Amino acid sequence: MGMSVALDGDARQAAAVKLEEEHGLIRRAQAGDRLAFEELVGRYDKDVLRLAMNLVRRPEDAPDIYQESFLRVYRNLHRFRFECTFYTWLYRVVTNVALDHLRRRSSRREDQAPAIEEPDGTVRDFFDRQPEQSATANPERVVLGQELREQIAEAMKRLSPRERMVFEMKHYQGMKLRAIGDLLGTSEETAKNSLFRATRKLRETLNFMR
Amino acid sequence: MDGQIHDSDEAASGWCGEWATLLMLFAAGEELDPAEEANVAEHLAHCGHCRETLERERALLGGLGQNRVEPDVALLASCRANLRDALDREEERGWWRRRIGALVPTNWMSPRPAWSAALLLLFGFSAGIFGPRLLEHHPQPVAQNNPPPSSVSPALSPDGDTLQTNQGGNSPLTALDLHTANVSGINVIPAGTGEPPEVQLQLNQQQPVMVQGTVDNNDVKRLLMYVLDNSNRFDPDVRINAVDLLRAKTNDPDVRSVLCHAAHTDRNTAVRLKALEALDGAEPQELVRQTLLDALNDRNPGVRIEAINALQSMAAKGEVVSDEHMLSVLRDRMLNDPNTYIRMQSAAVFRDLGPRQKF
Repeated sequence: MGMSVALDGDARQAAAVKLEEEHGLIRRAQAGDRLAFEELVGRYDKDVLRLAMNLVRRPEDAPDIYQESFLRVYRNLHRFRFECTFYTWLYRVVTNVALDHLRRRSSRREDQAPAIEEPDGTVRDFFDRQPEQSATANPERVVLGQELREQIAEAMKRLSPRERMVFEMKHYQGMKLRAIGDLLGTSEETAKNSLFRATRKLRETLNFMR
Repeated sequence: MDGQIHDSDEAASGWCGEWATLLMLFAAGEELDPAEEANVAEHLAHCGHCRETLERERALLGGLGQNRVEPDVALLASCRANLRDALDREEERGWWRRRIGALVPTNWMSPRPAWSAALLLLFGFSAGIFGPRLLEHHPQPVAQNNPPPSSVSPALSPDGDTLQTNQGGNSPLTALDLHTANVSGINVIPAGTGEPPEVQLQLNQQQPVMVQGTVDNNDVKRLLMYVLDNSNRFDPDVRINAVDLLRAKTNDPDVRSVLCHAAHTDRNTAVRLKALEALDGAEPQELVRQTLLDALNDRNPGVRIEAINALQSMAAKGEVVSDEHMLSVLRDRMLNDPNTYIRMQSAAVFRDLGPRQKF
């Protein structure tokens, strides 16, 4: 018990040191230190890119969202007042950029994900071109995995931008609904409703996943 | 069980529809308080349907999780490189543009070309119409110090000089006039013995103006000083004439200051020489002394000779107070100047001033 309390205390202290270190980086970046800003980018950019890829579901767009998000952060860093964590602030920027992007894309037919035709005549999209994580060894599993990804892509298309955002944030970024609500400028209850609708739509489309 | 959402499918089937939201939150994790979690656990213990629903929910999340897209290293590296380029461009835009960009994001303008074009037109039109008016209504302080100049047809100004214009009004020579005018020529009309010469300055601008008077006339003096202060706008012969004419006014601190400026900065050697000549008889104030010392390092030997002569003449009259800096400049010239005359004269001045400083 004593040991666990000590460990807990150490963890808290380490977190506080890390936070203080990050605040130092932010202050230096706010004062125009480009290296400090790049270090901040390096801490979060993989998460940001992953978030962008899974939100917009099109690899061609994810780098644009990544870049636009960090440029917005760079331009507006002087406005960051340490009232929330940098992580939350950054994610707020990314979600805004991604939401803008999703809205623009849904309103423009020419912006729909381009399909790529393979030499054998099959048409593949974004998911087909992503490295498959779990089934690389077995060709049969590769095919099954490919079909599954296509079905997931279809199911994701049925979600509204906000539903997709909440689902992603909750299940894959590990955020609480209250924080998601804050991030999206809405209430926890609204975030909960969005999550519920997203889950139901996915369950309906992917009812074979059981 | 606050905030539950009714799941119509489940409710229609008559199976525990009221638990749907709680089950979803239970599956998501970290959303229920301990009491709610205990309730759900208790319900799951005796409800097979809800257990099955929860398993389905978890299977769905697991399946989706396994098929998530992960950024690969190459893509991340490419994103970082592009971001660095974008940041470089951003830094080039500079501080002000960043601030303006934050207020009026460029992505606001790009989807609205018509509005953007209209705004730009309006802005340009307003700047064109109101800009000059604003400038005219707020002349620089230097223009406000003018004595009232004379009128349309040749007339006498308060100090007996003449300002001729074809403007048809009694407008003084404003800072705007000075900014936009180009002095195309200076005519010097000799006067009687002991009298200052008459000067005619022709200003080429939208409406040509001629200023005439002696250097005692404020407008004439200001114009001549303006010519020297803005040497890049006027030809060397105009600048040399201006120095020649201002020479008579070296007792005026403003004129001295302008002459020192010309001796320091004018790109034309003849103008710098003339300015030093003009300062030779000037009141030996600190600025003049410093200008002469600086001129000892001029790239042109003629200018350096003029400077050392002026210093020697001032030293001979006992008008120079030497200090360490002056002695070190003189010592340097004495030892290092490529010109023999300058080395000798520097040694002479050093000899005159050095011992006096020592004892």
